[in-house]
Amino acid sequence: MNPPFRPFFFLVLATFMFTWFALIVLPWINLGHLAPIKEEGTPGITPWDSSGSAHQGEKVYASNGCAYCHTQQVRPASSGADIIRGWGTATDDGDPKKEVTRRTYPRDYIWQHQVFLGTSRAGADLTNVAHRFPTAAGLYRYLYDPYVLNGHSSMPAYRFLFTMQKVRGLPSDDALVLVPADMPPAGWEIVPTAEAKSLVAYLLSLNKGYHLPDENGPVPRPSKS
Amino acid sequence: MAKPPYIPPADHGFISTDPELAAVDASVRWPVLVCFLSAVHWMVVGTFLLVYASSLTHPQDTFPIIGLLVKLSACCSFFTYGHIWPAAVDALVYGWASTAGLGLAIWLLTRMGRTPARAPAALMTGVVFWNLGIATGLTGIFLGDSNGVELLEFPAYASWILWVAYALFALWAIATYLGRKPGQNHIAQSWILVALFAFPWLYATGSTLLSTDLHPLSPDLRHTSDQSAWAFPLPGSGVMQALLSAWYVHGLFVLWLAPIGLALLYYLIPKMSGLDLQWGSRAQLGFWSWIIIAPWTAVHDLVGGPFPADTVTVGLVLSGLIFLPVAVIGMNLVGTSLRGEAQQGHHGGIVFPFLVLSAFFFVIAGASEQLLSVRAANEVLRFTMFRECNMFLWVYGFFSFMVFGSMYYIVPRLLDFGWRSAFLIRAHYYASLYGILLFLALVGGGGIVQGLILETTNPLVTIVNVNQVSIGFYIASTMCIALVSIGNGIFALHLGWMVLDWLRQQVRRSRLASEILMEPYQPAAPVKATSVEVSA
Repeated sequence: MNPPFRPFFFLVLATFMFTWFALIVLPWINLGHLAPIKEEGTPGITPWDSSGSAHQGEKVYASNGCAYCHTQQVRPASSGADIIRGWGTATDDGDPKKEVTRRTYPRDYIWQHQVFLGTSRAGADLTNVAHRFPTAAGLYRYLYDPYVLNGHSSMPAYRFLFTMQKVRGLPSDDALVLVPADMPPAGWEIVPTAEAKSLVAYLLSLNKGYHLPDENGPVPRPSKS
Repeated sequence: MAKPPYIPPADHGFISTDPELAAVDASVRWPVLVCFLSAVHWMVVGTFLLVYASSLTHPQDTFPIIGLLVKLSACCSFFTYGHIWPAAVDALVYGWASTAGLGLAIWLLTRMGRTPARAPAALMTGVVFWNLGIATGLTGIFLGDSNGVELLEFPAYASWILWVAYALFALWAIATYLGRKPGQNHIAQSWILVALFAFPWLYATGSTLLSTDLHPLSPDLRHTSDQSAWAFPLPGSGVMQALLSAWYVHGLFVLWLAPIGLALLYYLIPKMSGLDLQWGSRAQLGFWSWIIIAPWTAVHDLVGGPFPADTVTVGLVLSGLIFLPVAVIGMNLVGTSLRGEAQQGHHGGIVFPFLVLSAFFFVIAGASEQLLSVRAANEVLRFTMFRECNMFLWVYGFFSFMVFGSMYYIVPRLLDFGWRSAFLIRAHYYASLYGILLFLALVGGGGIVQGLILETTNPLVTIVNVNQVSIGFYIASTMCIALVSIGNGIFALHLGWMVLDWLRQQVRRSRLASEILMEPYQPAAPVKATSVEVSA
């Protein structure tokens, strides 16, 4: 009923190679070489790398499994309602009063060591979370107790990313301003740990407040010179 | 009123009447049994973690006792959802399904080759290392070393152990296949071989290219504005990671778990029903079209994302052809089982109902992949709990039912010892069946509802509104998983009871034997015998 072992093996290998080539190798030829784009007349490049603290935050994001419920991709208006949900709207990097609304492109992710596009939207898309939570303080409060803003949230509270400490002199700058139910006893304050700080730096760094050329056209390759 | 005499369950007579097959089964008894027992152990661990993880998805509306564990998860990183959920899924996919799959592959390959297994010690070493790898990986996840990549969370130090274990298995399997008796060929062997070949490919690519220690370029090099530095990054950089991850996750289901499950179904369904495979001449067509088309289901996780549009479009067209292999395989398996049920009466036996359900769930899982290959449906369902439902359908609906049926068939033949209670088997069957059917209805339906709200064109709808609706479905899903876990628990207890009884019987037998051997003070007997002979 079966072909002999060797032809069978090579046939299976060929079918595997076919999907491997089309699904992985071809996209890699297209996307593997993406470089930042040089800005006209300035030495700058777009997009620019995020801070070291944000890269540390990637690891916190990974090990606490944020990617199981949150995506980091905005689909174009032609595919799904991401733009209508407001997930494609970012604060402009140049002018905080302006907004940039767009889908995400492969070039947006070239600086990230680990890319978390995500597969589930049990929670909101986090691409432009900095637009909805412009300050770190707001994100700290949300991580500490998500149910204040969203009573039916599926998100766990990440209280282990914070510590309670005695107030010595003036309260810390980053002490959390909490609702009465969550408030620590008098004379104590709740402050983010280093992990929480890097996680929030990472979340804020995801903002896509810049423009990229429409990448549906030919993809620019790195210059040979 | 006189009591009916107690008839103990038959404790012998399970071994194949074919002495060749009996010898083959005996040669793999311990490796297969240890695979099964450790698989069931991981099933118990994974199911418990799954109930826990699922109750963490509605932290404001918890169930009585488990609510304490939910409170614990907020304060202790060890118990957070992001640790429990991947640990549960990995324990079920690698610990339960893959370990059981390895045991089944060993059993089937030796049995179909009709040659007793050589080097069972290598296999046992493989089983031990495999379990060690899973235990290390789960510990790593709990300690916060998770990679955060779906199904590849095991940190690198655990992946290597799994690798060594798998290499032992695979070498042994190829040697066994090549050493088979001439003329022993069956479609089930092709399925097993494809699975054994696909796993190392998938796991090697996934665990090396998606490991966090591997950065595309050194940061110093990248921060130069010299663009030629970007010309040759390693493959696992940027959005390629998402492509690889999708390819890996779907590959694991359709090229590793599905082929093992189908191999067992192709072997056991005709055997149990005593019928020829319906449409048997098309089984090869089903095989080849499946391994060509099924891996393309990976693009279901890519639609609309930051990827080349042509890859996604071609992928959707190809994965849309999945009805072809699903129809052929469904005709083969479901057709044969329905004919068998018609002849044997509904729900006859203990093995067959599980296998029939497994064949049915294969077709349903194929249909759900077909649904996801339609672009409009995919856009709605992509990010919802429908995907979870699809995964559950593969791992639990299709694969686990196949494993249950196969274990009910194989374990008595390995031990020459019967299952203890027909009632427990029935309870297991109905708890699992209603658990999975309710799960499909509620979580699949919940996914559709959640998707329709997520993708509505009303700009005022936010994630808060979506959560208000989906929270009910999360609670329902916890209840369904709890029902499934009751079934799983019954199965685990029953298997444990059976193995303990068997061990007790073995010990008793050997004690009996030793008592006979330890009676040297009977010098009279041979003398008597000779005297009788003399007198005669």
